[in-house]
Amino acid sequence: MNDLLPAIETTDLVRKYGRTDAVDGLSLRVAPGRCYGFFGRNGAGKTTTIKCLLNLLRPTSGAAKIFGLDPARHEVDVKSRIAYVPDQVAFYPWMTVRDTLAYVASFRERWNRGTEATLLAQFQLDGAQKTSALSKGQRTQLALITAVCAEPDLLVLDEPTSGLDPIVRREFIQTVIGTYQEGAPDRRTVFVSTHLISEFEGLIDEFTIIDRGREVLTMAADEARERYQKIQVRFANDPGPLDLPGARTLRRQGRTLEIAVNGNSTRVYDELRARAPEALAIEALTLEEIFVSTLQPQPGLA
Amino acid sequence: MLFQLNYKSAKAVYLQLVDQVKAAAASGAVREGDPLPGIRTLAEELRVNRNTVAKAYAELESQGVIETLAGKGCFVRSSGSPFRKDVRRRLVAETIDDAVVHAHHLQIDKAEFLRLVEERFNDFERKRARAATA
Repeated sequence: MNDLLPAIETTDLVRKYGRTDAVDGLSLRVAPGRCYGFFGRNGAGKTTTIKCLLNLLRPTSGAAKIFGLDPARHEVDVKSRIAYVPDQVAFYPWMTVRDTLAYVASFRERWNRGTEATLLAQFQLDGAQKTSALSKGQRTQLALITAVCAEPDLLVLDEPTSGLDPIVRREFIQTVIGTYQEGAPDRRTVFVSTHLISEFEGLIDEFTIIDRGREVLTMAADEARERYQKIQVRFANDPGPLDLPGARTLRRQGRTLEIAVNGNSTRVYDELRARAPEALAIEALTLEEIFVSTLQPQPGLA
Repeated sequence: MLFQLNYKSAKAVYLQLVDQVKAAAASGAVREGDPLPGIRTLAEELRVNRNTVAKAYAELESQGVIETLAGKGCFVRSSGSPFRKDVRRRLVAETIDDAVVHAHHLQIDKAEFLRLVEERFNDFERKRARAATA
């Protein structure tokens, strides 16, 4: 086992459903220890990609590897190192919470009983309750416990917080950061697919935005905030048409303009400043704003 | 101290944490020997990547603002900076350069800028004095 191998690597991954290309030539590389965001609209190909990683679907062409291994040929090795929390969680309805945990634990090499007890108490889950009686939030919490107690090297989360109330979402993310990441911070990798980007904003080191099965943008989060910025400027008099190479006017209302810049904020800022504005302010785009402007060609930044 | 992160700032999140601890230490909001929250506690509270907090603390330690005691956590150090004076001057000069450029953009001239520095310095000393008597 080589820890320098990427936790996830896909190479020209293609998966077709009939004639539709759900995933269309996707290449991703996720280094171990990272928290990697996988962003896309509904139907962009996120879940299909994840299913190829988990060997729930076979790629039409291209390759998907987990820690350098092909998930189809080394299914047990791969699955022993990963845990998965899907969007819709299903448990055997006749089992209790405690039965379910024991059942899942029986498949895993590692199982942290201390974490199990702590999280059951923290989420106030009743071990004797049947899983069929759990709410959506409680099912997700149970799924998270099963994932985290196994202490996997890679935690795959597919739209984990959609449909949950804000308190459950918050606890979910805190558990990923605290209980999961803390155990072995350099090795524990999170791959999270979501369109609720703002919630994961602080957690994401690096992200890929996909659309129609293709990569649109891959970048480190800090770099993205440095690169994609918007400038608000107000002039004393209507400045007339502004010719600013590399900048795009997002909104304009009389003397006030909002201008998007992409990696050239200093130059654009200086050019605007030279026109002696009344007010001039600059701010970074959040990851969510970057996502929206990347996928909305007008009047975006892409 | 209470941390406040701003994802609309172009400054990297870990550097925001670094700057806030430095500001708190300089203003007396945290004092020598005060503990900083544990990495996990702070990461959970702010809902940021644990590695972000770890990186901020490592940076603060390398700048001599905090020290880590094995098994006990991170503590604010005395303000006696471990850097030589010329290095310290250079570090401050870099920040001043930024402020000078910023002032220039906002049409604040030199005299006004220097008045402002004086005013901010007085304000800072008042805050420190208040924190010391509190």
